[in-house]
Amino acid sequence: MTSETLEQKRAARKEWLSKLEFFDAFCSLYIDNNSEEFESAIASPEKLLAEMDRNGVSRAVVYHGNTGMVGAAYANNELAEGIKAYSDRLTGVWSILPEQCHELPDVEHIFVAMKENNIGALTLYPTWHRWIPNKLTIGRLMEAVAARKVPVYLPLGNGEGSWKWVYDFMKEFPTATTIVATLGLWGSDRNLRPLLENYPNLHAEMSQYWVPEGITDMAKIYGADRLLYGSGMPKMGFGSTMLSIVNLQLPEGDIEKIASGNIKRLLAWN
Amino acid sequence: MVTSVWNKPGTIANAFWERGWDFEAPETAPLPVYDMHGHMGSHNAIYFARCDAPEMVKHLKRSGIRRLVFSHHHALWGEFRNAQVRDICSQFPDVLRFYVAINPHRPQYIEEDLKLYDSFKPYVVGLKILAGYHKVVVTDKRYEKAMEFAAERKLPVLFHTWNGCPFNGLDPMTQLCKRYPTVTFFIGHSFSNWQAAKKLADQTENTYFELTSLPGQYGMIEHLVQEVGSKRIIFGTDMPWFDEFQHIGGILSAEISDEAKKDILCGNIERLLGKDW
Ligand SMILES: [Zn+2]
Repeated sequence: MTSETLEQKRAARKEWLSKLEFFDAFCSLYIDNNSEEFESAIASPEKLLAEMDRNGVSRAVVYHGNTGMVGAAYANNELAEGIKAYSDRLTGVWSILPEQCHELPDVEHIFVAMKENNIGALTLYPTWHRWIPNKLTIGRLMEAVAARKVPVYLPLGNGEGSWKWVYDFMKEFPTATTIVATLGLWGSDRNLRPLLENYPNLHAEMSQYWVPEGITDMAKIYGADRLLYGSGMPKMGFGSTMLSIVNLQLPEGDIEKIASGNIKRLLAWN
Repeated sequence: MVTSVWNKPGTIANAFWERGWDFEAPETAPLPVYDMHGHMGSHNAIYFARCDAPEMVKHLKRSGIRRLVFSHHHALWGEFRNAQVRDICSQFPDVLRFYVAINPHRPQYIEEDLKLYDSFKPYVVGLKILAGYHKVVVTDKRYEKAMEFAAERKLPVLFHTWNGCPFNGLDPMTQLCKRYPTVTFFIGHSFSNWQAAKKLADQTENTYFELTSLPGQYGMIEHLVQEVGSKRIIFGTDMPWFDEFQHIGGILSAEISDEAKKDILCGNIERLLGKDW
């Protein structure tokens, strides 16, 4: 290798990095009052945006960090209000409930309400909110959600879902566009790979997937389209996973997808 | 775009960020990083595609790790012997070093392995005690031979520690660190709790706080640096559990000084063990 080639490589990498955008696919706002770690939580959109700037993250999908405790209706409203002024950088996630109790906009109105409130995705906390996610409870809603390709976050941990829960959800709604989140720090390939193999619309965010070269391996098997940069704020920070993503052994185009392209594509339904 | 932690010229974070790790020569790495907490071998509860020496070394080299010091999973939990671990290290002498895995349920192995300790050189760095998994408190008699050996030779001993754990939580670890002042204690995972780390740091001088699983946790590195000081923190990853870039990224993106980042990634270990080992 001549030194000129090395210089060219360096310059090309620097140029590519300067254009690489990070769009955090899994981030939360507001204090979880039931967590011992609440002191580190991000309590305001302004503080969150400052931390994003410090790390070079341009945009983020945010869910309400205290949805489990305060409930879906309250959290959905508070989140929509909180991010209103920052719609260019923050996109919200609303939590759903069984249709029969009419606590949230029904299937005829929810997508309009999401659009009006800058909400790009849905999620659910059936353990916290005491209900069973299946066709009986959210069948009509999920049919419309799947048809529109609205992404649905399936969170593990934080007093919520287990892998069994995710498996049951996907069996019930196999065509849904989903993002499994908060995978847990113990390498989750045994649980995640069968889902990626069997459900082509299932994705995973990587805030807690730290297996060495593991993102590269999964992207090679299931495609880079299926994996998303997520920070997991405020339990996790923005920066650590960013360094592993810029060093994946994948083509630049694949890294761009994981860093921001995939989440943009998934939010494009709105 | 605002200047971020990654694109501030002249910083360690910027050097790591912009470096083409796959095409740059290893000797031009911004820092020689020492990973003081690794493992090797398969695991009962986790699929590791790259948990044997050749694949691990590839990852270590391309992420700028100068040395990984590890204890083998199967020496900790199975019948794999430390002498076999030495042989693995000897195949990758420029990167791999090991801790003698101490299993309190195998007193005969402890005795045999301590006798062999000098034959494990130059690859052996100290001992590893995993009390939370073996469910034998660190102050138990079954570790005494190993601890006395380490005290006599002033060796480092890496402990798995966890706040609230009866086997390697704050109280038994405090007792042990005071009992063996000549041992260098590497407090693995820093109890996963900076408050507990501070309590031990305040009462002892022979303790260094190791970071496995903590970089990446929001605010954790900042708290530890503030409470125990960057001079007493060392880097580790549980490799092959956790990606080197991910953990290094957690240090580099923390809101701490460049000097503190350097202390953690290499400076403290070079002060403790030197550069030639
Ligand atoms: Zn370990």
